[in-house]
Amino acid sequence: MRRKDLSEPALGALLLLPAALLLLAIVVYPIATLFWTSLHAVDNANPAAGEHWAGVENYTRAFDDGRFWHSTLQTAIYIAVTVPGALVVGLGLALLANRPFRVKWPVRLSLLLPWALPLVFAGLIFRWFFEYNTGVVNDVLGRLGAEPLQWLSSPTLATAAVCIAIVWKASSFMALMLLAGLQTIPKSLYEAAEVDGASKWQQFREITLPMLRPAIFVALIFRTITAIQTFDIPYAMTGGGPGDATETLAMYIHKTTLDFLDFGYGSALAALMFVFSMVATSGYLRYTRRSVGRGADA
Amino acid sequence: MSPKAAPVTFNRRTMVWFAAIVVMVNGFFPAVWILLTSLKTETELIRSPITYLPEAPTLANYDTAFTAQPILRFMANSLVVAGLSTALCVLVSALAAYALTRLRMPHRNLIMSVLLAVSMFPLISLMVPLFKLMRELGLLNTYLALILPYAVLSLPVCTLVMASFFQDIPPDLEAAAMVDGCSRVGALFRIVVPLSAPGVFTAAILAFVNAWDEFLLALTMMNRVSMRTLSVGITLYQGEFAFPWPLISAALIIALVPICLLIAIFQERVVGGLTAGGVKG
Repeated sequence: MRRKDLSEPALGALLLLPAALLLLAIVVYPIATLFWTSLHAVDNANPAAGEHWAGVENYTRAFDDGRFWHSTLQTAIYIAVTVPGALVVGLGLALLANRPFRVKWPVRLSLLLPWALPLVFAGLIFRWFFEYNTGVVNDVLGRLGAEPLQWLSSPTLATAAVCIAIVWKASSFMALMLLAGLQTIPKSLYEAAEVDGASKWQQFREITLPMLRPAIFVALIFRTITAIQTFDIPYAMTGGGPGDATETLAMYIHKTTLDFLDFGYGSALAALMFVFSMVATSGYLRYTRRSVGRGADA
Repeated sequence: MSPKAAPVTFNRRTMVWFAAIVVMVNGFFPAVWILLTSLKTETELIRSPITYLPEAPTLANYDTAFTAQPILRFMANSLVVAGLSTALCVLVSALAAYALTRLRMPHRNLIMSVLLAVSMFPLISLMVPLFKLMRELGLLNTYLALILPYAVLSLPVCTLVMASFFQDIPPDLEAAAMVDGCSRVGALFRIVVPLSAPGVFTAAILAFVNAWDEFLLALTMMNRVSMRTLSVGITLYQGEFAFPWPLISAALIIALVPICLLIAIFQERVVGGLTAGGVKG
């Protein structure tokens, strides 16, 4: 009875409450403590004394930490390679999958499987592909007359191998999103272009790409946000090796916190990553607010 | 119909076949390759040049996969964690999506934006404080340590997917139910949710797959072998230096069965959900 008397905004607030509480407990509160912890340190000489206030010490330490810079650079390489890489491969797959197949499920499943596959599984499988003696990649290279490559023990090649695995794993999700975008393009546009004598390439450049722009943008942002956090695939493929060569910032944070148990420094690094990630997100939100805000009521 | 028709259809058909084969090889090759590997023996594996098809297919690796690690236990852990977090997530997101789409809410767009922003928080920056929190609460190595974060992880996408379905239900139906004495919340569960069952279902699948695949938190929160989830458990088959690939492959194939069944049965829903969450987000 009383529930009916609630005004709509009050009922709405009530319904949003569980979500808000979960977000507060699992996201907002932890992020707040992250920044707080990042301003503390444990004295190695006297660990029993617990954490003490350290100010920005952890952040200045990061500034002088070669491994932090290296893992950040490595993450930047993964972003720079796999974001455009997955876009190009994903677009290719989407264009191929957009053919008029009579039976649709095999193609759909072959895009869904890489998406549903856990990242660690992909990492393990590609590690197996890139094994020196028994891997299929070197076998194919051999058949093509090339020398086998030490994929996982050279820093450059290991980075390349990790990038290939990430692009494979990420491109199918990209393709699914772009495919949905492709299917919203009216056929009549292509028919009109055909009548005007436009070539396939012109149609792609003048119709497909512009019409796909919103889908491409969303897909790129998703990929960028995910790429910043790259962890599972290099963890399973190289364990960060050889040495620390393929280690990402996320892996370094994990190691600092859980292996070295240095929560203060780990939190400072994680806070830095949070900032990197929010910079990318804010650009995205600015874009969606501009495009969504116009159509929405409130 | 024109004299040109025949070669054109031939070309088009070849193109379609070519497209299908490229996409399918790309999607299935890794799974097929580990399936083949899982049927080989270690001795066949180290032969040079490598064999493609197993010469003497054996199921021995599957036997070992079940005994070397408690893989069924890993799978059960994953099922519990993914199942319960999905249930929690769908319930909470349904309420939120209802409030955001069917009620006159102030700051609706702001709330949506906050949800979107949260979905982009890097998990690794949550991992450190969540680990501390769960340790203080004594929840490490319990299902709850993963269920709660996973439910929150999928909350934004589930809310968006369900909101996009809730929007399409005519308000008259709800009004009629309320005239018949249904409360607003009653109308949500009796009218809106059943009518948008595909949307609720899609959201559930997305939440389930997200939870099933998650690795970082699972690695962090559960360090007891018996509590490992499948994604982490699968990495336990490797030794420190040795990678017994036929065994790892067999374990991977076993671990892939549930997820393959899920996407095979619900493929259309999954695709619809992914693109609803993506394109509208």
